[in-house]
Amino acid sequence: MSDPWMERLSDYLEDDMPAAERLALEAHLETCRDCSVVVSDLRRVMNRARQMDERQPHRDLWPGIAKRIGATSAGAQPIRRRWSFSSPQLAAAAVLLMTFSGSTVWLMRSAGSLPADGPIAATAPPPATVTAVNVRRNAAENYAAAVEDLERVLSAGRGQLDTTTVRVIEQNLAVIDQAIAQAQRALLADPANLYLNTHLAETMRRKLDLLRQAATLVPVS
Amino acid sequence: MTQFGFGAVTLEHENTGRPDSDTVDATLAASGDASAFERLYRHHVPRIYSLVRRMVNDDDADEITQDVFVRAWQKLGTFRGEAAFGTWLHRLAVNVILARRETLGTRRKRFLEGDAVLEFLPARKAGPELAMDFESAMERLPDGAREIFVLHDVEGYRHEEIAEMLGLATGTSKSQLHRARLALRRHLER
Repeated sequence: MSDPWMERLSDYLEDDMPAAERLALEAHLETCRDCSVVVSDLRRVMNRARQMDERQPHRDLWPGIAKRIGATSAGAQPIRRRWSFSSPQLAAAAVLLMTFSGSTVWLMRSAGSLPADGPIAATAPPPATVTAVNVRRNAAENYAAAVEDLERVLSAGRGQLDTTTVRVIEQNLAVIDQAIAQAQRALLADPANLYLNTHLAETMRRKLDLLRQAATLVPVS
Repeated sequence: MTQFGFGAVTLEHENTGRPDSDTVDATLAASGDASAFERLYRHHVPRIYSLVRRMVNDDDADEITQDVFVRAWQKLGTFRGEAAFGTWLHRLAVNVILARRETLGTRRKRFLEGDAVLEFLPARKAGPELAMDFESAMERLPDGAREIFVLHDVEGYRHEEIAEMLGLATGTSKSQLHRARLALRRHLER
């Protein structure tokens, strides 16, 4: 490798070379077959590197991760909960959730955003049970920002939606907000309650899911 | 009755104008939602695992990939949605890998001088039984040259970023990359 230009061929290919030097090298490539072949090969190496396939691990690594972060996959032993809501509250929550689920599905199907058959959550991964929940202030801010952003989309597109659709969405959001507020109040008295933390996270997720689905009803202008 | 509010923070996907699912899942995961974090894991594990395997080796790839996601779970509170979640995760993965390689010990001299990189990797032999495919050849590069090649040519980092990550001069990154490419050109599939 005595040709001094050979050391500069990667710089040339990365366009990391002064213009005058680049011109000189290009003139050299016209006459030097060795350097021309190496330039061609280096180009192929760079292209080959960009085309490398991604590979899945040989085994599912999630169970090990779930264990280390304090979560267990679905199907594992459910967490024993310490329930602090009254029976009437439980019954009311069940009715509200059924109403929410049914009306939302009906609404989305009527609006054509969901397939008429097939399970709604068929593609969602199995839920995991949180055994160690740490609600961070940043996360709460991010969540609030995401909700606000979706609400902004809906607010902007509100005039393009059927009034019945808007009413059903708002009713369902109110139900979820009520459930969130209940869970938050209960957590004030029992902040370490794992079930309540899980329930709160799940309810917050439902709100985001509803907002996301509702936002898809707004025609893109 | 909930009224649709007006948010100041934009979490929109650059192409669709809607919040991307990764950002929403990252927000949920930061709130303790492990199922949202599992969705992020399923979506990103092929890229992260491939990065780890190329940067380190097959034997340690599973464990380090798990380390990356555990670290991501711990650091989710610092993700603010300013960049794509995948970009944030990838950079975090590189940091975990680089920190971990120190504890793994240096099995080979990290940065070989001059043409020693070329000598490290045997030339492609004739005959299918002796041939080494491109990716196997890459894995046999000296650690330093391989890391730079993966970060630059495979993952798209700039020399300045690599130099900062690896704690070396930009010129060293460039010369090691050139040596790695010269070594690998002999293992291109014909």
